[in-house]
Amino acid sequence: MMTRDQFRFDLIMDAGNGAQKAGDILIKGFANQGLYVYIEPMIPAEISPPKRTKYSMSGVTIRVATGELTNIGSLSELMLVEQEILLDRRLDDEEYEPGGTVILDMGDQKRSPATYDQAMARARAAGLKVLPLSIPDEAQQTIRELNGNGKNMVYLGVFTAIFNITLTDMNAFVSQVFKKLPADKLAKNLTLVQSGYDLAQADFSELFLSIPANPDDREKILMDGNTALAMGIVDSGIKLYSGYPITPASSIMHTLAKSFPAYGGIVHQAEDEIAAIGTAIGSYFGGVPAITATSGPGLSLKQEFIGLAMVSEIPCIVIDVQRGGPSTGLPTRTEQSDLFAAAFGTHGDATKVVLSVSSVEDCFYAPHIARYLTEKLRVPVLILSDYLTSVSYKVFEKLNLNVMENISDILPEILERFYIEALPESIEMVKTNQSIPGEVGRLRRVTGLNTDIEGTVAYTSQTNQRAHQVRNEKLHHVRRALKTPEFFGPSEGDLLVVAWGSSRGVLKEAIDTCHREGVSVSGMHLKMVYPLPLMLKELFSRFKRVVTIETVYGDSLKHTPFSTLLRSETLLDVKAVLSNATGRPLKPSQVVNTIKELSHVHNN
Amino acid sequence: MSTTTNPVTLKELKAADPRWCTGCGDYTILVGLRRFMVQRQIDPVNTVNVSGIGCSGRLPHYMNTYGIHSVHGRAIPVALGLALGRPELKLFISSGDGDALSIGGNHLIHGIHKNFNCVFVLFDNQIYGLTKNQTSPTTKKGLVTMTQPQGSPLSPINPVQFALGLGATFVASTAEWMGQHFLDTLDVAYQHPGFSFVHVAQRCPKFNPSAWNHEDSRWISFLEHDNGVPADRKAAPDATVVAHDPSDMAKAFEHANGLTTSFGLFYCQERPRYDTLTLDATEKAVKKDKGSLLDSFAI
Repeated sequence: MMTRDQFRFDLIMDAGNGAQKAGDILIKGFANQGLYVYIEPMIPAEISPPKRTKYSMSGVTIRVATGELTNIGSLSELMLVEQEILLDRRLDDEEYEPGGTVILDMGDQKRSPATYDQAMARARAAGLKVLPLSIPDEAQQTIRELNGNGKNMVYLGVFTAIFNITLTDMNAFVSQVFKKLPADKLAKNLTLVQSGYDLAQADFSELFLSIPANPDDREKILMDGNTALAMGIVDSGIKLYSGYPITPASSIMHTLAKSFPAYGGIVHQAEDEIAAIGTAIGSYFGGVPAITATSGPGLSLKQEFIGLAMVSEIPCIVIDVQRGGPSTGLPTRTEQSDLFAAAFGTHGDATKVVLSVSSVEDCFYAPHIARYLTEKLRVPVLILSDYLTSVSYKVFEKLNLNVMENISDILPEILERFYIEALPESIEMVKTNQSIPGEVGRLRRVTGLNTDIEGTVAYTSQTNQRAHQVRNEKLHHVRRALKTPEFFGPSEGDLLVVAWGSSRGVLKEAIDTCHREGVSVSGMHLKMVYPLPLMLKELFSRFKRVVTIETVYGDSLKHTPFSTLLRSETLLDVKAVLSNATGRPLKPSQVVNTIKELSHVHNN
Repeated sequence: MSTTTNPVTLKELKAADPRWCTGCGDYTILVGLRRFMVQRQIDPVNTVNVSGIGCSGRLPHYMNTYGIHSVHGRAIPVALGLALGRPELKLFISSGDGDALSIGGNHLIHGIHKNFNCVFVLFDNQIYGLTKNQTSPTTKKGLVTMTQPQGSPLSPINPVQFALGLGATFVASTAEWMGQHFLDTLDVAYQHPGFSFVHVAQRCPKFNPSAWNHEDSRWISFLEHDNGVPADRKAAPDATVVAHDPSDMAKAFEHANGLTTSFGLFYCQERPRYDTLTLDATEKAVKKDKGSLLDSFAI
């Protein structure tokens, strides 16, 4: 049996056949052994595309390891695929390790022998070993009795055997997940798991694998990014969530709809994206902390209200779970392309505070820091997550709760997590009176029109200039409070690779790999992406070359948004060296190769 | 200075000096709203005037209450945020025919559907005023405007019919130049628990003087009922008076057909409110300790 400290594999099925469910159960098995997992679902943007088509590819990529994981990794070494069309489709993504293995269910072979042969030949040509899987007749019969459902349980059984998880443990997890199923149906599912387990014992023992665990006593949790945002909203003392359905932000609202009322919160589904933010702003004007979440197209729609919040000095928090753009783009693929829309999107020069999340853990604390900043500054704060972070599950150490009521309660570790000092006690506002309805003797009206210090509408040249100056000074407070961002490796040298948001894990792993292999390189990661820390130019100047890696398009004539921002802020020749808008996350191996090429060029 | 104990007076409800045109009906609406607050002794400290953009949008600036002059067409979602976050506040929404029925049409549909508690006042002058004389959804067919110099090609939307069609729980129509009728209408609207849709015929002498003939009252008919709004015979001496039961939706639709000529309470029916339903759901939820927030995610 092979022993490995980490392994990545795929389970790919037609949409609706339960690949994600099987993955969810499987990772419970890993986590129970004390292993760390990172799981990325593959979800079509449609609901149930016709089966046996390439549009129907659905599944999970799972990375499991002895130590903590920060990303999904580079390539899969094993794929279990339900039928040949999906194998063909998945090979398009080029995310397999040459020398790896495909387990292909041959159940549909009689229907289409030619395409089976073709897909298997393609896999072999790509350097993959293809092992056929045939679900035994008895299991086939059970699947028929379950109205065609249950193949995923057979595959779960196969993985249970491959990864050396005991059937007793797995049966317990299956029973726990299907606790609402009638007993006879549950029993049938368990039979299917057993069938897959036996099948693997007979046919796939060459693949059996041991991943040693380092169990410890620390409490661990399993969570995805959107759930962490939802739980963070509860813990940060926000009282109202106002949203409109949009992929991939919707699951934040789904989670809150179930759990928020139990903690005294309100969930409001608005008639559109614009109304969703309008209601959040109305609530915050009333002194009740509120939040909205959306994705790219919704961010475009919300821009006018974001500007109103800016000018009328009403706190406002918007989560943008970025997806592939522009326009409707790639709803279920990842991209880091909303940076400019977030920082500069509103008309009339209204730059906002934009922070990004690098991990599921950051998602939990992002609402706290956003609330702290927006209530201190009365400037809109945008939280940029992305599809990758929103759907990726991982195991991590249980987080400390803040149970924040007022922003003065914020835990110092949250400020540290986002590399920012506390803001000054007193911050000048455009309008002195910032009362909320119900306060006696301090009646006031707010407006999107320009106002003077008293809050009355004013069109004079001095008042508008002053309002801009005061608003910008608020952002300067953030600039001054931002600390040296996170560094990986020495703080000077030949090459610095800079990333933001969800690219942190990939950057860190790539830098670690390079260091292990003796390649000299440093990495820097920014969570706060607008405004930027003031010492950035000085930090960059300590390196001969500064480059970025981003999940967004760029080429030799068009800089990426992030590198454009860094260039304009530092006047240094910062260029993106990896700027992919493929919808897939960056791979540590790509980053390592890019660093090696750059180092090589440099050393010559 | 406002306090919760001193009586509310007209004088203390004055805020910034209004900047509407001379003869604009918005002045009458503003004064009517202040009079109403005095009459009902509504505490300005717990009152929020919410508006969108347009001439009507300026009203909050001139009322010494709390106020938000928000974005074009979207006062309703902002007001809903206050209704959910601060249910004890009294909410008045000022909107115009363009603001409510054009750019903000979607929000009006859903404000009416949600039936949250507020008084929604639609200032209908049948024209875009602030942007200077463009066709609005209530502009009469044939009116020459800056955007349709050949004359507005379509028959106008009837706002009352629109609200009735959406299932509004309270639909009334009044005119700002009929002072007592306006006050009486606001009073019934204020007492209705839910989204009270009040259509107000409003003069725009600058751009659309032909919209409403306020000097003649022969074209007007008052809808009258014990549960409704009394006819204003002083303001409209030549008007006809028609008995109309505000629980009769079918008759309400008949009166709302074509151009607006009927004033009074068209329809009134209590129905469940989104604001109270939503707040009750949170109130009744079995409460959990925030200290155990992450426990169910443990492995």
